[in-house]
Amino acid sequence: MPETVAAVSHLTRSFGAKKALNEVSLSVPKGAVFGLVGENGAGKSTLIKHLLGLWRAETGSVRVFGLDPVSDTVAVLGRIGYLSEEPDLPGWMRVGELLRYTQAFYPRWDTAYAEQLRDRFALDPEARIKSLSKGQRARLGLLAAEAHRPDLLILDEPSSGLDPIVRRDILEAIIRSVTDEGRTVLFSSHLLDEVDRVSDHLAMLHRGTLRFCAPLEDIKARHRRISLHFERPPAEPPNVSAAIRVDGAGREWTVICDAGRIHAAALAQHLGATLVEDTAASLDEIFVAHAAH
Amino acid sequence: MQLVERLKHSIATGAIKAGEQLPSVRKMAEDLLINPNTVVRAYRDLESEGIVELRHGSGVFVRESVEARADVMRKAEPIMRSALDRLESLDLREDEIRRVIENELGLRRAAKEARKRRA
Repeated sequence: MPETVAAVSHLTRSFGAKKALNEVSLSVPKGAVFGLVGENGAGKSTLIKHLLGLWRAETGSVRVFGLDPVSDTVAVLGRIGYLSEEPDLPGWMRVGELLRYTQAFYPRWDTAYAEQLRDRFALDPEARIKSLSKGQRARLGLLAAEAHRPDLLILDEPSSGLDPIVRRDILEAIIRSVTDEGRTVLFSSHLLDEVDRVSDHLAMLHRGTLRFCAPLEDIKARHRRISLHFERPPAEPPNVSAAIRVDGAGREWTVICDAGRIHAAALAQHLGATLVEDTAASLDEIFVAHAAH
Repeated sequence: MQLVERLKHSIATGAIKAGEQLPSVRKMAEDLLINPNTVVRAYRDLESEGIVELRHGSGVFVRESVEARADVMRKAEPIMRSALDRLESLDLREDEIRRVIENELGLRRAAKEARKRRA
């Protein structure tokens, strides 16, 4: 079993009558790029806030590096780098001041590395933060999250509303983090192509419940898209037990299955249809099917 | 898988030559912005297909025996030219030559499949 960096067990969180998280259990293995996907309001940020110790678990438990992030805040946060969608940076500070200020919190701050990143991101140390563009502000947030080479880098919707060049900087930071031996990244995103390209573990939240959590390869391997052709339009949509989504009309129907390798030809025969295609479902199709299911 | 196809294409066109070293997993992942495990898997797939070899401690190399497909295709050109010369000397038209070739290829395919079934 690989070492676990973060473990959430039966975590439930309610806001009034609404369950923002409902019995969520998952673990983030060391060295993973763990992608967290889900629609807005699915519970991604709520989960991340628990990992950061900003919120205490109402029921269930949260452990990061084996510690409780609420009672061991300093020990946990000292090893985490965090970047949110809208980094909350003091606008009146200058870039250089913010870096010195942030550095004070992290014994492992790497000054040379911070300088290198500042140079790469073309951040002027004399510039006031409030004068920075959205993209430059995101880069500054990324620098502050990364320069102490955290054991766990957490990015909450980091690419939201950013131009492709800044998005590339963020993806580079993710890859850099894991190619440095043993470091782990958890990032939430609604950009599935980004998630597909950089993550190796994927979890999906939908309305506070966990839809799946597994290595990306396993998720892709077990979801199939099966296209069927009927000689005569069926009276009702084809009934397939492993289906999480059935789509179509008239003679042409598509079924998204979550069942690993299923015998598509036998399934088609059973339904009295012709098998047109049996392929791996795309991440988009998987996401949409689980969100509607 | 995309990366495997891309690498195969590069090797086939001679953009990456026999004996050449592929970038390290780390460099490849950082350059292409993809998960390092994806690179590891691609290299492993290429190895199992005999296209590259892993030399311990020194990296991944394209096998010496892997010839760029472009070079192999070039070898086919003179053979084809002389065959076409002889077919034309029989007064065959272009569409007839094409049919003859298709027919021969079809027969070979069928024979191969029959052999596979018997095996």
